[in-house]
Amino acid sequence: MLFPTVQFAIFFPIVLTISWALMSRPSLWKPFIIVASYIFYASASWRFCFLLAGVTLGNQTAAVLLRRTEDERRRRLIVGTAVALDLGVLGVFKYYSFFVQQLADVLGHAGLGVPLPLITIALPVGISFYTFQAISYVVDVKRRLVEPASLLDAAVYLSFFPHLVAGPIVRAREFLPQLARPRNPNRVAVGSGIALIALGVVEKVVIADYLARTVVEPVFAVPQAYTGPNVLLAAYGYAAQIYCDFSGYTNIAIGLALLMGYVFPQNFRSPYRATGFRDFWRRWHMTLSRFLRDFLYIPLGGNRGGRLATYRNLMITMILGGLWHGAAWTFVLWGAFQGAGLVTEHALHGRISAPAWLKWFVTFHLIVFGWILFRSESLHLAGVFLSRLLTLGAPTLWTAPVVSAIVVVIGLQLLPEKPLERFQVRIERLRPAVLAVGLAIVIVFSAATVPSQGVPPFIYFRF
Amino acid sequence: MSDATPPPPQPPAPHSDDALMSRFDRMGLRRFRARDAVLAVLLAAILLVVSQGDSIRKAGEQMNPGIGREIVLGVGRPAAWIADQLPLAGVSNAATAWLSPNPSLKGLQGFSSLTAATANGQAQVVSPEQFDPAAIGDKPPPRRPLHTLLVTGDSMSEPLDSDLAQLLAPKGVHVIQEPHVGSGISNTLLVDWGKLAALQVREHHPEAVVIFIGANEGFPMPGPSGREVECCSTAWAAIYANRVRQMANTYRQNGLARVYWLTLPTPREAARAAIARVVNAAIEVGVEPWANQIRVIDTVPIFTPNETYRDAMSVHGSQTIVRQADGIHLNDAGSSLLAGIVLARIERDFSD
Repeated sequence: MLFPTVQFAIFFPIVLTISWALMSRPSLWKPFIIVASYIFYASASWRFCFLLAGVTLGNQTAAVLLRRTEDERRRRLIVGTAVALDLGVLGVFKYYSFFVQQLADVLGHAGLGVPLPLITIALPVGISFYTFQAISYVVDVKRRLVEPASLLDAAVYLSFFPHLVAGPIVRAREFLPQLARPRNPNRVAVGSGIALIALGVVEKVVIADYLARTVVEPVFAVPQAYTGPNVLLAAYGYAAQIYCDFSGYTNIAIGLALLMGYVFPQNFRSPYRATGFRDFWRRWHMTLSRFLRDFLYIPLGGNRGGRLATYRNLMITMILGGLWHGAAWTFVLWGAFQGAGLVTEHALHGRISAPAWLKWFVTFHLIVFGWILFRSESLHLAGVFLSRLLTLGAPTLWTAPVVSAIVVVIGLQLLPEKPLERFQVRIERLRPAVLAVGLAIVIVFSAATVPSQGVPPFIYFRF
Repeated sequence: MSDATPPPPQPPAPHSDDALMSRFDRMGLRRFRARDAVLAVLLAAILLVVSQGDSIRKAGEQMNPGIGREIVLGVGRPAAWIADQLPLAGVSNAATAWLSPNPSLKGLQGFSSLTAATANGQAQVVSPEQFDPAAIGDKPPPRRPLHTLLVTGDSMSEPLDSDLAQLLAPKGVHVIQEPHVGSGISNTLLVDWGKLAALQVREHHPEAVVIFIGANEGFPMPGPSGREVECCSTAWAAIYANRVRQMANTYRQNGLARVYWLTLPTPREAARAAIARVVNAAIEVGVEPWANQIRVIDTVPIFTPNETYRDAMSVHGSQTIVRQADGIHLNDAGSSLLAGIVLARIERDFSD
């Protein structure tokens, strides 16, 4: 069930109404919200509900066992087992076909045609997100940053539908305290919630899908058929599309949660405003970057082992971060490129001074370059895309609506933050009835831009 | 075993990221009651019902059978009725019509015209066009250069369309990629392929058309008497074949164009495989009158010999996964293999 669909538009008002009706009775609210979340998840495929339940039970068992022992070795063993199981689930469902195919190819080329079980396995929606949340839960319990939750609370935490399928990756210590007592029915951020939902719908349905249809998909599919200026436009277009697609999803998710009384962490903070790779990762998919930092980079040793060890840790973290996005060499290469950017920045730190605008310009274009690797269907096509950038020709795709959409998406991120925040606060202070009418108008106009085949899935659904 | 009491739990250590959680507590942010949240969402929902009721019903009709469809239709039917009684739907449609990215199919002949036309059961006269010259040893027509190729269909045509475009780009062939995801020949609610085919020909005048469709079939269709015919009887197959025939006739443009119609590789699921079998049989019958212009490329022997589903097969001597995890579509490797076969067939009809 996608957020901007009729099904969800029917589902959410019912769930919101019952949720607030039951809020003062957690013993009823928690089972209700678990059932609602599983119904939401089952609309993609009911079979995967068992997987979600299994991940929940497995990690909750680990959390309970952690509470029962103070023996550090045993605690490490419990956490190691739980994390291995989570990663095992992720590995089987997300990477099995990819790695077995790679192995079969290597063996085939070496003349060792060993018959391997080459099968396809359906990727459960949201698996990358809820397994990471499960890992954060048991590790935080092990680190004593959070107490083990009850089974109901753990199930709500992992299955809560606003963040279930594509994040943001909410840490246990951020969410479980909110479950400890019913949300205050007199302090609901209705304005922020509705404004974020409306913004998210426009970002996804109006801008991201429009750019995808008109420029990005045609050019990335057959870059050799397009001139340099058009290929360049597609690269900028994808930068705008992926931001609007993912930020749109996140805004809707955060807005829905706010209406239900819950707060999710921020996931984006004007990422194209960044003046370096480190700055970019503090603004882009912030909940993933802090997860990678806390559960991969720091456990690997972080910057504690000297310069070379830091570089190694950065590269490992970013390559695995790239692979998290999907089982393809393009993602691995994109991750390696991000890692190389961070390493270079680290190595040059304090040695080169440049004006802020130049740092921004270079960073932005390096990020766009990275998106070319990320979006291309194969390494070969990425190479073709890059080579076509150097060709001349008519800019036939540079139409006013496309260029305006890209300029608005990127330009808005470069504006001073304070006036935008003030504008946001002004909207959030409007009466709920006014905002509701505004939301309805936004949805009607956005729906009119949807082609007959409907709204395509969010990009991050397949991660 | 140690029976020492575990130390009391420590409060979570403050963390720099936790600040992200308090961003909605900033000064000046107005808080409302939960009742306001519920009423605001319900008000928005009511406004959507009165302005978009018909769209909700149509969305339900396009869904596959199941409880989700029943729920959406349960809301959509009364919503459509309410919207019909009020002027808001007309106002919102008029205000937003200019935003629609869908091509207008008004005035084009769709499948609805077929029902009456196919009601008679007269035997047809056999024409020379029903024979492929190559198949009977006759001299084929001279090959001519290919400038424009249309690759269309439902989601099955992706990424075949991109693969063909990449293969033909160096030859200067303009490949129009037009997938209509989620559509089907037996389901005219999303798009009427009879009309769409006419529009595609009128807009692009392709010299060759590759069509790969059938992932969303099995819907009931109106028969010659006007009554709905359920899948997958011979009656349903006949209606489907007639629709295929109408499209094929449109695409061949009175013999000016060549059409390459791909059958469905057998899907993994038995229920889908049964539909695919009927669809493939209907394609064969549907294009029969123009065997000299329309090539059926049968994917079953390539990917699923004896209609036996398989994820992987030997490609260029090495075992390769060729299907997507859904057990319906071809993956990149499978699509690439098929693109090569389609291209070889196109090259027999067209010169470089």
